[in-house]
Amino acid sequence: MSDSILIIGGGIAGINAALNAADYGCQVYLLDDTASIGGMMARLDKTFPTNDCSICIESPLMYRVDNHPNIEILTNCEVRRVNRNNGNFEIRLVKKARFVDADKCTGCGTCVEACPVSVPDELDGKIGGMRKLISIPFPQAVPNASIIDPRCRYGKMREQGACIGGCVVDCSQCRECPIALCVKACKDEGKDAVLLWQADKPMDIEVKSIIVCSGIKSYEPSTGTYGYNVYENVITNLQFERLMNAGGPTGGEIVRPSDKAHPKKIAWIQCVGRGDKELPYCSKVCCMITAKQVIITKEHDPSVETLVFYNDLKAYGKGFYDFHRKAVEGGTRYIKGKPFDIFEHPETKNLTIRFEDLDKGELMEEEVELLVLATGLIPSDRNKRLARVLGIELNEYGFFKEKEPLNAPLETNVDGVYLCGGATGPIDISESVVQASAASMKAVIARR
Amino acid sequence: MNNDIRVGVFVCDCGTNIARTVNVPQVVEYAKGLKNVIFAEEGKWSCSVDYLAKLQEAIKEHNLNRVVIASCTPRTHEPLFKKTVKEAGLNPYLLEFVSIREQASWVHMDDPVRATEKAKDLVKMGVAKAILLELGEDFRLPVKQDCLIIGGGMAGMTAALNIAAQGFKAIIVEKQPQLGGLLNKLDRIAPEEVSADAMVKAKAELIAQNENIKVYTNTEIEDIQGYIGNYKVRVKTNGKSEEFDASTIIAATGMKEIEPVGQYGYGDDSRVITQLQLEGLLKSNGLEAKRDVVIINCVNSKNEERGCCNIGCLASVKNAMALKTINKGTRVHILYRDLSIVKDELSYLKDARNMGIKFIRYTEERQPEVSREDSHLMVRVYDLLLGRELKIPADLIVLTTAFEGDSTVDQLKGQLKVSTNPDGFFQEAHVKLGPSDFPSDGLYLCGCARSPKNLKDTCEESMAAAMRASIPMKVGYLEAEGIVADIDLDACNDCGICVKNCPYGAIQLVDDRPNVLKALCKGCGLCAADCTKDAITIVHYSDEQILAQVEAALEEKAQEKIIAFCCHWCALGAVDMAGVSRLQYPPNVRIIRVMCSARVATKFVLRAFELGAAGVLVAGCEFPTCHYIVGNYKAEKRMERVTKKRLAQKGYDPSKLWTAWLSATDGPKFAATMRAMTKQLNLE
Ligand SMILES: Cc1cc2nc3c(=O)[nH]c(=O)nc-3n(C[C@H](O)[C@H](O)[C@H](O)COP(=O)(O)OP(=O)(O)OC[C@H]3O[C@@H](n4cnc5c(N)ncnc54)[C@H](O)[C@@H]3O)c2cc1C
Ligand SMILES: Cc1cc2nc3c(=O)[nH]c(=O)nc-3n(C[C@H](O)[C@H](O)[C@H](O)COP(=O)(O)OP(=O)(O)OC[C@H]3O[C@@H](n4cnc5c(N)ncnc54)[C@H](O)[C@@H]3O)c2cc1C
Repeated sequence: MSDSILIIGGGIAGINAALNAADYGCQVYLLDDTASIGGMMARLDKTFPTNDCSICIESPLMYRVDNHPNIEILTNCEVRRVNRNNGNFEIRLVKKARFVDADKCTGCGTCVEACPVSVPDELDGKIGGMRKLISIPFPQAVPNASIIDPRCRYGKMREQGACIGGCVVDCSQCRECPIALCVKACKDEGKDAVLLWQADKPMDIEVKSIIVCSGIKSYEPSTGTYGYNVYENVITNLQFERLMNAGGPTGGEIVRPSDKAHPKKIAWIQCVGRGDKELPYCSKVCCMITAKQVIITKEHDPSVETLVFYNDLKAYGKGFYDFHRKAVEGGTRYIKGKPFDIFEHPETKNLTIRFEDLDKGELMEEEVELLVLATGLIPSDRNKRLARVLGIELNEYGFFKEKEPLNAPLETNVDGVYLCGGATGPIDISESVVQASAASMKAVIARR
Repeated sequence: MNNDIRVGVFVCDCGTNIARTVNVPQVVEYAKGLKNVIFAEEGKWSCSVDYLAKLQEAIKEHNLNRVVIASCTPRTHEPLFKKTVKEAGLNPYLLEFVSIREQASWVHMDDPVRATEKAKDLVKMGVAKAILLELGEDFRLPVKQDCLIIGGGMAGMTAALNIAAQGFKAIIVEKQPQLGGLLNKLDRIAPEEVSADAMVKAKAELIAQNENIKVYTNTEIEDIQGYIGNYKVRVKTNGKSEEFDASTIIAATGMKEIEPVGQYGYGDDSRVITQLQLEGLLKSNGLEAKRDVVIINCVNSKNEERGCCNIGCLASVKNAMALKTINKGTRVHILYRDLSIVKDELSYLKDARNMGIKFIRYTEERQPEVSREDSHLMVRVYDLLLGRELKIPADLIVLTTAFEGDSTVDQLKGQLKVSTNPDGFFQEAHVKLGPSDFPSDGLYLCGCARSPKNLKDTCEESMAAAMRASIPMKVGYLEAEGIVADIDLDACNDCGICVKNCPYGAIQLVDDRPNVLKALCKGCGLCAADCTKDAITIVHYSDEQILAQVEAALEEKAQEKIIAFCCHWCALGAVDMAGVSRLQYPPNVRIIRVMCSARVATKFVLRAFELGAAGVLVAGCEFPTCHYIVGNYKAEKRMERVTKKRLAQKGYDPSKLWTAWLSATDGPKFAATMRAMTKQLNLE
């Protein structure tokens, strides 16, 4: 339909933009290139500054999107080409093969149980999270359907026992597969939803405006930064977030990678990566992420000792400073200063941190059992391609550029293409939601 | 017994997900024997397109007027089945959903006998409720296309332009003689360095040209009555009152500086001024060349009382640079706690440092001090890096102060029936997911009225508030699901508790009697549970219906059973999570769904114990989350302070009433609670 709106990115920004526009009466396509909508919020434990449980507040919105008559969800889907025609955008999408018929799949999980091969999860692999080659992204996923790791389908996992046949061709060559365990399990259930020969499918749509909500990624420090990837018990704040999460790989147990023991002393280092070529900016939310994580750590076990190395404290939003105070009052030590050296104790795998306490002007050291690197937020790795396809500009950091931030916030250099959420830069949830409503306002006005 | 009631029960195998553990044919047979059940059937995949068509045929063929689906979880699948029965001509409120996968087959895998028994109970409870279900309808309140905007600063102006761009009417009420708010007092806007006046002028011109926008200046709000779609507003302009209607309202009342009287010599010495006063001097070119300027940040901010003022760092650096631009020779020191500019911070601070502006950090414990030496002002500050006190002379001291809401906010919050924080900033519906909304539909907020912020954020919030207000104006009505409160005025004694407690302002007095504005009601049931006269019914979750479930559950072997009242959102989310994760727990529990834990009245709990239940669990969302703002808090309070006492009075052991506050990922916690309860109650 020509007066519809395409929303690219199904995180909390995209979900809100979609619901606003759809409630207003527009036809909306909500597109994400991963297997489920939800974005970063679906992976978080609690959320600052109130410590609301993240998925608890996000999943009702996800179900609303799913059941909204005006919204079509397109997951595992990419934007390939955009043409301007009579003020409309003609868009070529590609629905990537899921190898599962999402309409037939009920998310019952029988295929997942049947699959014998586990691989490290993209997100949780470093802290022991595994997933099957056929999997459901997370329990509240929308759509609630499995997806097959393409590596499996090409027969590459046969040696690991993914299926029992000794086929000489890859799965895409057969219309019917009697031997793949997931296919069989699904058939036994009376469904026939696993389709190993599914191929990518093009899809054309025409829309009046586009909202880009491609979000953020957590920065992955380079190997060696404060011992990251070298010492086992050095993890990022996103990995720590997953450890805290009852829906995460440890069922909410905060355990350290080396021995799965509950660490009794944990340190956080702020601004990791900042100043590097990659992060020449402040990500602004990391101070609050750490405040949240120390508060929740103490809620799990008040006897755990927590310390934070910080630079300038960013507590800019409503209720943020109170939240920080809560962290301090809970007994967390905040130390102004940047550590300059970390080394690991070979037997205990504990870490000694050397640092200068800038408030005291002293060189000091602390030994901790787990070290969390509070890294910043970086743009989605797909932004460059998306910018090219849409003809919009990126700023020097790789976020999308606003044409005139003050006079025309959230507008791009292409009329009819708007931004919100992490697509514009580091941001928290509340601001993402505000921008999502604002961008949907722009989009519906542009439709007129 | 009502013979017109014809119930159909549809029990799903979910492939083998249910059928592997629960003996579905047995459950179907059992269902057929229940009263009013005309038809019962097993389905392999109830949610498949083919089966849904079959279900619709069955409804027509057997003339069913109640449907019970026993399958997965209502949290994901209820909308689908509602739609299906509706298409078959049945009122969707006559559907009851029973979860035998998440609540039975997945969590009692190694005890098929008891899992089947539980499934039968759940179906029986579902049928018992279904028999009592009544026709429901969605409620609509008409909403016209006119929006009142209180405050004509940048927030109010931006909101008005966006409302008007859709052809809707925007009415700005501004108490000052002109539009623009704070910007009228500012010089330039950082970091873009545009003139504040130019920004106001550009917007004010657009507003003047727009025939959809009506502006009242020099005008105050005298009175606001009504609700979404039907606000009656009375304003007073230069002593003259006027009335008009509005359908929606946006609060854009901005903020003001908290005057730091008595601090750092402010008020005693004219050389000590605030950041806003400095802006005024810069704007009017009224500033003589200064030799030494000291800017002190975080005055009254970042302490026990309040947080970061959000724009002070930006304003102080901006104005320091302006001072340097006027006179390169001026020495400018900024005394700060943490530098928090965020956007373009690095380049901005670099520019400032390159201009020669000096930054000195101080801590909350060691604040700077100002004294007068001869005719000079002297600032003492402990330099943490040098480890000693510095003495900085000053001929101008600028205090970057904290902010508070407008002085009219106290009055306004009464008129709008909304709340504020201690600093007079309005409280939004939800800090993260409802930042532009007030809890009551029809009321929205934006800009510095919500909290201090820079101009870009202010403008974004204004567009957001405009969008939120536009949705009902565009649709033409506000619609609510039929799960709403209904007051029987004959039974009501006008005590007013429900009016006071409704978090959504959905119960208002009409001719001194409570009246539910159904479209505003979210159906949480708080009012019904606390009504001392039992005068309030929640459609679809009535006392009768819930008690029928309790009674059905406890008909047999009551002493072995735990009744759990679970809220639809997080508690049931946790139950479902336990299911998806196949966490195994004892099958003694029978779950009764309510929309919010606040719906659980003392009498429900009492009834369960009267019928011999081993224990009762009330489970709601984990604090501070509640999908009805305060429901879980109210429920906890009621259980602890009222229900337990009542139980003791009646001779029941109050320790058998448990509460659990769960997040939707708390599957393990729910399973653990069930294990602990079973153990404690000696049910093993
Ligand atoms: C460890 C951590 C903890 C945090 N804790 C908090 C907290 O407690 N409170 C808080 O307020 N904020 C927190 N945040 C920040 C919060 O996650 C973000 O503000 C929020 O997720 C931004 O939402 P978004 O929708 O803009 O982006 P995202 O959540 O990143 O979603 C973007 C979506 O777009 C999709 N996408 C990306 N590129 C493309 C493309 N080219 N085509 C199609 N789809 C695409 C992605 O798959 C994703 O689903 C935290 C962040 C991290 C990393
Ligand atoms: C010293 C200082 C420097 C700043 N510098 C910058 C900067 O460099 N860059 C930047 O981006 N931002 C800056 N800001 C922030 C910027 O000024 C605000 O974001 C913006 O002005 C807020 O607009 P507003 O409409 O929300 O509030 P306001 O501008 O306060 O407007 C509110 C309006 O509502 C009216 N009003 C209030 N109550 C009522 C009532 N009951 N009835 C009728 N009318 C009412 C008021 O009279 C006022 O006109 C600065 C702020 C200050 C104080």
